[in-house]
Amino acid sequence: MKALRFCGIAVLSGLLIGALVGWHYGRTVTQGQLIWEEMLAGAEYGRLALLQYDQADPEHARQALLSDTNFSKSMTKLPSAQGDKALLIDVGRNYLRLAAIEELAGNRSLSHQYVLDAQESFRSMGRDIPEEKLNQEVAKITALARPSSPPS
Amino acid sequence: MFKKAALFALLFLVGAGLGLYAGWRPSSRRERLREARPFGNPAGREFLKTYDLIARLRMLSMGSALRLRNPKYGPEGSREYLNLILDTAQQGKRQLTDPTARTLIDVETGLTYARLAMIEEAEGNSPAYQTWMQKAQTTLKQAGWKDCSAAHLTQIIQALNKQDACDSPCGKG
Repeated sequence: MKALRFCGIAVLSGLLIGALVGWHYGRTVTQGQLIWEEMLAGAEYGRLALLQYDQADPEHARQALLSDTNFSKSMTKLPSAQGDKALLIDVGRNYLRLAAIEELAGNRSLSHQYVLDAQESFRSMGRDIPEEKLNQEVAKITALARPSSPPS
Repeated sequence: MFKKAALFALLFLVGAGLGLYAGWRPSSRRERLREARPFGNPAGREFLKTYDLIARLRMLSMGSALRLRNPKYGPEGSREYLNLILDTAQQGKRQLTDPTARTLIDVETGLTYARLAMIEEAEGNSPAYQTWMQKAQTTLKQAGWKDCSAAHLTQIIQALNKQDACDSPCGKG
C-alpha cells in the first residue's frame, strides 16, 4: 500500500508538472508557428500580386492588387496578426498602385477614391499622410508607367 | 535510499512525459482553433484554404531557393523540390474557388515550370527544356503576362532566385 502511494505520488506529480509545462510550451510554440505562417502567407501573396502588377496586363494587375488588398485585410483578423502594421502598409501601397493604374486608364474619380483609401489605411496604423503627398507618390508610380522588367 | 530516489525520478519522468504530451496537444489545438475562429463563414473558410496553401508554397519556395544555391543537392534534388511545389499548387488550387487566387497559384506554377526548364537547360537536356518552357509560357500567358519570351522568363527567374536566396534564413551569409 505504501509502495503504491509512493509510485502514485511520483507519477502524479510528474504528470501535473508535465501537463503545465506542456500546456505552456504547446501554446508558445504554436503561437510562434502561427506568426511564422502569417508572415509567409502575407509575403507570398504580396509577392505574387506584385509580379502580376509588374508583368501582367492592366486587368490582371488590377485584380491581383485588389485580391492582395482583400487578403491582407482578412489577415488583420487573424489573432496571430494582431499588431502587424506591415499588413496595413501593404494595403496602403496597393491602393496607391491601384490609383496609378486607374490614373493611367483615365479613371480619375476612381483613382482619387483609391488615394483616399490609401490615406485611410495609413491613418489606421497611426500615420496621417496628407493627400497631396499621396498624390505625388501616385504620380511617381504613374511616371514609371509600369515597366515590364524583372523585379529588382 | 538511492534506489528509492531513482525509482521516484523514473516514475516522475514517465508522468512528466505523459503530462507534457497531454498538455501540449490541447493547448496547441486551442491556439489553432482560436486562430480560425474569426473565419467561420464560407468566405472565411475560403480565405483559410488560400492562406494555408500560400503559406505552404512560400515555405517550399524558400526550400527550393536554398537547394538551388547549394550544389550539394544537385539538379535531382532541385527537380524533386520543384515537383513538390507543382504537386502542392495543383492539389491546393482544386480546393479554391476565387478566380484571382487561382490565377496567382497559376503564376507560381508557371514560374516553377520555368525554373525546371532552366535546370534542364543547364543539364543540356534540350527536349525537356523545351517542354517545361512551353508549359511556363502557356501558363503565364493565361495569367495575363505580356512578355512570355524565354529570355524574359529566364531574367525573371534569375532575379527571383536572387531575391529568394536573400529572403531565406540561410541566404544571409
